[in-house]
Amino acid sequence: MNDEGSRRVGEESSERRVADLLREVAPRLTPGGDPNRLVERALARGTDRVFTCDSPLGEVYVGVSDKGVRLVGRTDSPEQFARRYRERFGRLLSWGKDARTRRLAERTAAALAGKKIEVPVDLSETTSFQRRVLEVVAGIPRGEVRPYLWVAHEAGSPKASRAVGTVMAKNPVPLLIPCHRVVRNDGAAGSYAFGARAKLDLLEEEGVSPEELAALLTLRRRQRASSATPPAATPGGFVPKIVGLFGPSGTRRPPDTDPARCATPWWPE
Amino acid sequence: MIKSDPLSRRLAAGDLDAPRQLVERHHAELYRYALALLRDAPAAEDAVQETFERAFAALGKYPEDRIKALFLRPWLYRIALNVVRNAWRERRREVPVAEMPEGTGGRLGTALSSAPGSDTEAWLDTLAALERLSERQRVAVALRYIEDLPYAEIAEIASWPEGTCKTLVRRGIGRLGILFSGGSDGKGGR
Repeated sequence: MNDEGSRRVGEESSERRVADLLREVAPRLTPGGDPNRLVERALARGTDRVFTCDSPLGEVYVGVSDKGVRLVGRTDSPEQFARRYRERFGRLLSWGKDARTRRLAERTAAALAGKKIEVPVDLSETTSFQRRVLEVVAGIPRGEVRPYLWVAHEAGSPKASRAVGTVMAKNPVPLLIPCHRVVRNDGAAGSYAFGARAKLDLLEEEGVSPEELAALLTLRRRQRASSATPPAATPGGFVPKIVGLFGPSGTRRPPDTDPARCATPWWPE
Repeated sequence: MIKSDPLSRRLAAGDLDAPRQLVERHHAELYRYALALLRDAPAAEDAVQETFERAFAALGKYPEDRIKALFLRPWLYRIALNVVRNAWRERRREVPVAEMPEGTGGRLGTALSSAPGSDTEAWLDTLAALERLSERQRVAVALRYIEDLPYAEIAEIASWPEGTCKTLVRRGIGRLGILFSGGSDGKGGR
């Protein structure tokens, strides 16, 4: 064999050697430490988390980002909830089995059970108007209702009653932000994401009876008729609890000595 | 007709276990690939994290049909390759090549197992030699010999014609062979 030939053979055997070395080293290129850590980290950064939670309306799915709760809903399947979440927020959901999500799940369950506990809510995907409206609604106390008009006024957009209705319809976190406590300006209960029946059920459970809701309507008519005199007791003889000790901005006012007298009407005239 | 990946279909459908499965199924091979190309374990781990972050971001935005039709492995390798290329660019900006510390083998050396019969020094030399190839040859050789992928998939990952991939691999191995036979490649030798 000439020099060129043996050089070529030498090169070929080197090439084979290199190829073998590459194949040998490949399976040894593994991460040190716990590989699960890498998996958990990737999921924590790349996906939002979901858990199920008991609520007054049965089991609900709760989707959360690292900033807080983003979506609460009831769907036929967890996949359907995940698809809705993806459409709305552009993020995948994975089961929230990590410690941080479990802690948030506990807080959420307590809040939905009626305990006074703060749950972080991520409203970063909402407009500032929507955020203002939702924040106002979040302040409506349990056992009370407010009309759209009041919410619009408190949110700084007194003419935006209809827009408030739209924000309520699109509320991403029903039950946590109690849009069920917002009623129509004419006193009727209005619609609700979980259904009108569910809205009435919730209000009843919270201490607002349908009769009181009906009374609200009567109250409103009476106020229109004679703005100076305080309204008389409603038919049936009971005072609506909804017109309580709270003034327009939800702050506590000194109690009236006469429980039959309503507080300052909280519809801005 | 090539059947689509069941995991793609499950990701499209919103299966809540699918994201975890995606990471579990692919993170080892993506790490191996990044480590071979970056020769630095922390950098490789960052690259894999960034790859999955980009992948999940895309899966959040793609329409359902597009997700369903995805071939996940070449798609993930392509993302990883972009991430690695960014890392190379960063390195070139930060550290002039001539001043590259000799000790980068140390960070990789601890990542290789020291099981009996292991040829750690030769392996480290091989990986170091990869860096002597052009970027395209390095990418092609790693996909062929470290990742053991067929040429059709390499072509899809790198967006090169299949013929180009074969040429790059042949020339890359050829050059490595010369380096290992003690010959000079005209660029400073061993």
